[in-house]
Amino acid sequence: MARGALTQQQKDRRRYLLIYAGLTPFVFMAVFPLYWMLITAFKQDPDLYRMENIPFWFNMAPTLRHFNILFFQTNYGAWIVNTMTIAAWVAVITLVTAVPAGYALARLRLPGAENIAISVFMTYLVPPIILFLPLSRVVAMLGLQDQWWALVVVYPTFTIPFGTWLLMGFFKTVPMEMEEAARVDGCGYLGAFVRVVLPVSLPGVLTAVIFAFTLSMQDFLYGLAFVAPGDQKPVPVGVPTELIRGDVYYWGSLMGAALLVGLPVAVLYNFFLDRFIQGITGGVGK
Amino acid sequence: MTPTSLQGGGPEPTARAAVVSVAAPARSRLVFQSQTSRRLAFGYLLLAPAVLYVLLLVGAPFLFSLYLAVSDANVGDPVATFIGAENFRAAIEMDVFWTALQNSVIFLVVAAIFKSLLGTSLAFLLLQEFPFKKLIRGVVVIPFTLPIAISVLAWKWMYDSQFSVINWVLSRAGLIGQYGTDSWPIWLGDPKLALLACIAVNVWRTFPFSAIVLLAGFTSVPLEVLDAAKVDGCSFFQRFRHVVAPMIFPILMIGFLFDTVFTLSDLSVVYLLTQGGPANASKILPVLAYQIGIQAGNLGRGAAIALFLVPLLAPAMFLFLRNLRRREY
Repeated sequence: MARGALTQQQKDRRRYLLIYAGLTPFVFMAVFPLYWMLITAFKQDPDLYRMENIPFWFNMAPTLRHFNILFFQTNYGAWIVNTMTIAAWVAVITLVTAVPAGYALARLRLPGAENIAISVFMTYLVPPIILFLPLSRVVAMLGLQDQWWALVVVYPTFTIPFGTWLLMGFFKTVPMEMEEAARVDGCGYLGAFVRVVLPVSLPGVLTAVIFAFTLSMQDFLYGLAFVAPGDQKPVPVGVPTELIRGDVYYWGSLMGAALLVGLPVAVLYNFFLDRFIQGITGGVGK
Repeated sequence: MTPTSLQGGGPEPTARAAVVSVAAPARSRLVFQSQTSRRLAFGYLLLAPAVLYVLLLVGAPFLFSLYLAVSDANVGDPVATFIGAENFRAAIEMDVFWTALQNSVIFLVVAAIFKSLLGTSLAFLLLQEFPFKKLIRGVVVIPFTLPIAISVLAWKWMYDSQFSVINWVLSRAGLIGQYGTDSWPIWLGDPKLALLACIAVNVWRTFPFSAIVLLAGFTSVPLEVLDAAKVDGCSFFQRFRHVVAPMIFPILMIGFLFDTVFTLSDLSVVYLLTQGGPANASKILPVLAYQIGIQAGNLGRGAAIALFLVPLLAPAMFLFLRNLRRREY
């Protein structure tokens, strides 16, 4: 009996080892660029540009100089503030529009709700590369060219469709009876929505906020096309366009800047990745 | 009971209600109607902001881009005149347009092959149960969740013409020569390598996505259904062919189409790595549209070039739509 259990354990261990061996290249592929960014950001310049050394560890003392440059000689601080402010506004606009829309489509048995829902989601698939030229005109008409406000107007074009779709799924999972009970108790439609459905859908609403934030961070084209002044850019646009001056690359600062913002976003997004996949594959309200 | 009395079951409640109160049916119908119209009014009111936003900033710009494409609109000259298909004609007469189109298609196909191979292997590994699975899964999907412009920078540094870490390893391993010799690959500066280098970044970024979509597909098949099929005497292949495949196919399709749209229309990888160079070797349609539309200021022609993506995307969009309908409703 005991021997049987032991061999089972050994079998398991061998199986795990095989799986880990299979996963190692994938983990390496995912992690190495990050590691390379990290170590580059803290290396002294002579250490970066000497080929005789083994480059995977520090050959000279680590330095914070690159971050010093970043925060005191570039607009990096401003870009972080811009990014955060843009994301906050985008999240607010997305919530104000997508929460009611998702609820209406999921719950109120509107004629044509299916078609509206699908059309709204399809707009998420219209690529920015087709929209950015006409949108540049819209931005100019609004007098927002070369300000980060332009991005606050433009980013909801993809966060609203995705948010609506996502929230529709959430609202579908709230039991209909709860709402009906609320209405029997004298709540109107608005009352049932605000007092009963919304509180239990809070996780969904929070997810929509996270996506408004992370999807805004994934944009590059709109930021590149609409915001030229150095102090108005969001981080993903500012770093590659302002820290590369002609042929001179400040690799240490570049990698530091990229990592400092990219890593938290990636971690945040990681937690909600399954939701994202469920959203786009239409597996809503599982 | 006779069939007639069964048929008479329908109106019976009304008749009974009539005994209680004659006015009741009419009033309840009125209440019901006003409730319905109130519900609809409330619903469309809730829907309006989102729909208006999308119509104004996606729908209208899309139509506007059609208009731009048939006009001579320029950044400096706001008054555009109608010039018919001139922009499209001019585009297809540019050699670089055909290069870009060809590169776009190569990019899409080669990247799709590699990311589906890598994605499938990863998905099968992640389908197993093992310790620290959640953690490892979280780590492996990092390439997909990093903001794209930011991860492309890391690659630009790893592809550096002189201090490329990839070359350092290859050189130490004796696979390539020293810096400055012919056998030292300059990833982004060599016309033969530039497009491949860009494709590699796209594959690196999106294979976790393929894997996760596949996983979502596999886990969407309920075990009970498989067991039922097994009890009914289905062989492994029958189960795969008639149970698993029809259930996961729609999900895979949507993931695939989603990736197609993203890969075809994304400009950040190529723009940041090579700007389409050297000598247009890695130029793809989105980069060309950006360079002509914004950098050269020729809005009309830029819009026309971007619209050439539509026939490439249309089949994907169409299939996507069909799939979505079948799954949801």
